[in-house]
Amino acid sequence: MSLDVFTFLVGGRAGEGVKKAGSVAAQLFITKGRYVFQMDDYMSLIRGGHNFSVVSTSTRWISSQYLKADLVVCFDQRSYDKHKTHLSKAGFLIYNADKVEGDTGIGIPLSKEAKSYPRPDLMLGVGAVAILAALIDYSKDMLEMLITEEYPFGIENNISYANKIYNLVYPEIGGLIKINDGDKRRTHIYGNYAIALGAIAGGLDVYYAYPMTPASSILHYLAALAEDYGLAIIHPENEIAVINMAVGSAFTGAKTIVGTSGGGFALMTEGLSFAGMVEAPVLCILSQRPGPATGVPTYTAQGDLNFALSAGHGEFLRIIASPGTIEEAFYLTAKMLDLVWKYQTPGILLIEKHLSESAMTVDIDVSKAAWAEPELAMEGSYKRYIDTYTGISPMLFPPSKEVIKWNSHEHDEFGITTEESKIVSQMHEKRMRKIESLKSYLKGFKTINIYGERGAIILTYGSTTMSVLEAIKFGNLEAMVIQIIYLNPLPIWELKKYSSKEIIVVEQSIGCQFSNLIREKAGLSVKNVINAYDGRPFDPIDLANKLREVI
Amino acid sequence: MNDLGTYAENTWCPGCGNFGILNAFKKAIIELEKKGYNKETLVMTSGIGCHAKIFDYLNINSVYALHGRDMATAQGIKIGNPELKVIDFAGDGDAMGEGLAHVIFAAKRNSDITIIMHNNGVYALTTGQYTPLSRKGWKGPSTPSGSIEEPFNALALLLEAGASFIARGYTARISHLVDLIVQAVEHKGFSFIEVLQPCVSWNNTYDLYNEVVAELDYEPKTYDDAMAVLKKRDKLPIGIIYRTQKSIFHRELLGDHHPLYNKMPREKRLEKIKNILEFK
Repeated sequence: MSLDVFTFLVGGRAGEGVKKAGSVAAQLFITKGRYVFQMDDYMSLIRGGHNFSVVSTSTRWISSQYLKADLVVCFDQRSYDKHKTHLSKAGFLIYNADKVEGDTGIGIPLSKEAKSYPRPDLMLGVGAVAILAALIDYSKDMLEMLITEEYPFGIENNISYANKIYNLVYPEIGGLIKINDGDKRRTHIYGNYAIALGAIAGGLDVYYAYPMTPASSILHYLAALAEDYGLAIIHPENEIAVINMAVGSAFTGAKTIVGTSGGGFALMTEGLSFAGMVEAPVLCILSQRPGPATGVPTYTAQGDLNFALSAGHGEFLRIIASPGTIEEAFYLTAKMLDLVWKYQTPGILLIEKHLSESAMTVDIDVSKAAWAEPELAMEGSYKRYIDTYTGISPMLFPPSKEVIKWNSHEHDEFGITTEESKIVSQMHEKRMRKIESLKSYLKGFKTINIYGERGAIILTYGSTTMSVLEAIKFGNLEAMVIQIIYLNPLPIWELKKYSSKEIIVVEQSIGCQFSNLIREKAGLSVKNVINAYDGRPFDPIDLANKLREVI
Repeated sequence: MNDLGTYAENTWCPGCGNFGILNAFKKAIIELEKKGYNKETLVMTSGIGCHAKIFDYLNINSVYALHGRDMATAQGIKIGNPELKVIDFAGDGDAMGEGLAHVIFAAKRNSDITIIMHNNGVYALTTGQYTPLSRKGWKGPSTPSGSIEEPFNALALLLEAGASFIARGYTARISHLVDLIVQAVEHKGFSFIEVLQPCVSWNNTYDLYNEVVAELDYEPKTYDDAMAVLKKRDKLPIGIIYRTQKSIFHRELLGDHHPLYNKMPREKRLEKIKNILEFK
């Protein structure tokens, strides 16, 4: 049989190559020209526990994992107990007979067969890929090539083990599911990597971050690329240093980005306000996970929207945007870097674990990335905070003949501290004028994405967009999905045409922060909110059912 | 020297030790220029408090940073443009209280910046509270019965943290202080000067310092010698207390590469990224 969507789920303990098996499975589907979406679910630990990776694939664009898999491979009892119900009607359940007491499905001695190799635990992932290959009749030659490419350490052992497992399962399940070829081989990429590449494409010079899940892999990836691209990638003592160093680097003209999650961002808020006052262009990537406090570190949420909107004391413009897909994350990172430099104010790229740490196939046209360039001062006497009709004062960087003063106190146009009432008001007005300037500028750009032409109107933002789009497809629902890219300034000019409509919102916040934002700021009437706050991304089947109830 | 000043009204108390630091720094800039440094490559940062008003009184490139965060901002400037000479002015509340971690880490990584800590032993601008360097028993509005904490030994802390240049000066010994500042700025790596600064309104230590301050007649050569000088209780030695050469943070990180002057152009970046994003 042939399916619209085929899903592979592999589960086991941390350290058994579960995530890697997911990535290799994704790669296998890519060699067939198909689209993939990969979601890795892992616990906050290094060894043991329970991890699983879900890869859904189709010959059409696919934007979510499915929790009903056509093939489930379990390495241990915990995975088996948890995932034996995550099976589609005609799905296959294969388990490691050496570690699992199974009442249903097919047991394969995955561990025993691995025993003769140097690092048997690490082989299990290879076994899972071999099972997948057998099920869909992926040729052994292709499998060998894939393993050579993807598991560069101990290639011969891996191929030998893969062949053993392939031969073992083939008589039972070989070729029972047919997977059509798609149109084109695309690369698949994690959200955080797309962001890192978008940052480089946009002109990044310096990146500061203190490790915090789910933002850390931006730091790791950039650190690995640093030398090749001539970047300074720095992990300082804490997030307070991160943001204050970033302002210092921005003072020199270096395009600077910082990245963190909610707790780290909380520490950065003082520095964010500093950036607002001195008019420092600094972009912060805020990858949300469930809070409060330490919360649920390796899971997803949209609970920091209100926090981002008002982060930092005092009144200043914070540009906030949120990408709906991994592809958009690439472009929007570059765009946001450009915007913070154009408007000389801090910006926040608001994302979630689900975007950061999921991977999908992308078609990215790098030439469409923005390139950050500030407005530079003309020669002659210089005033850092010269009052202009746009609120934007042209920039100058040291070394320079003219003196440049950035001041965290209220200041006059030159930058000297002031408490004069007239100047205090004038400077507030100058800075806040940038909001209107930015709104006029953004009117020339796409600030919302609209998917679909008619039907119920569904509003959403961030990675939840991907879940909604997949649910609409799965449920064959008639709906028009509006994803808001810019959360501040909110594109009221686009949204007001929907003010007479009844709106359904999908978001991942118990307090319905996004719904409240569009109610209060855009005057939209939200009829229904479908929200989740368990840390898990929506499953398209569940979400389609929930949407059907309210459409 | 006039072109180093600004039109800002000076609001330090008459007799404030900060005047000594301001004057010494202006003279140090002139000395540095004589040695071939270009004033245009100097950048100063400051924390928050009485000391930080020096930002308003100096006509050089500068960032008036946040309380205790000035040394982080200073390091960010150096990383963005390693060609710049960055001098941070900090109060003892900035460097030893709110921003202690940043100072210790700047010393640990041997960031090539100079920190000049104005040690007046009091939070003067917030009306006289004790600081991390105030003597035990300091009576201020937050400790009316006297502070119950022992003060830090700032320079000993920094020596232990790995500082490659530490010195102590006194606002009433201007030419001595000028020389310290010039040498600190010339030092390749992290340099830290503690400046003993009397506060005429809250902590007038002129008489005390005039009695106990003594210029070192030698430069300690080893860590142990330096530590012994710093542990002296009867005298307050001023001068260079420790100086060594070790690898510098931005050099280790970037080598000869300058992130701005050698920035990879857009076209080349896009070509490389395109290559990563192509299916192979």
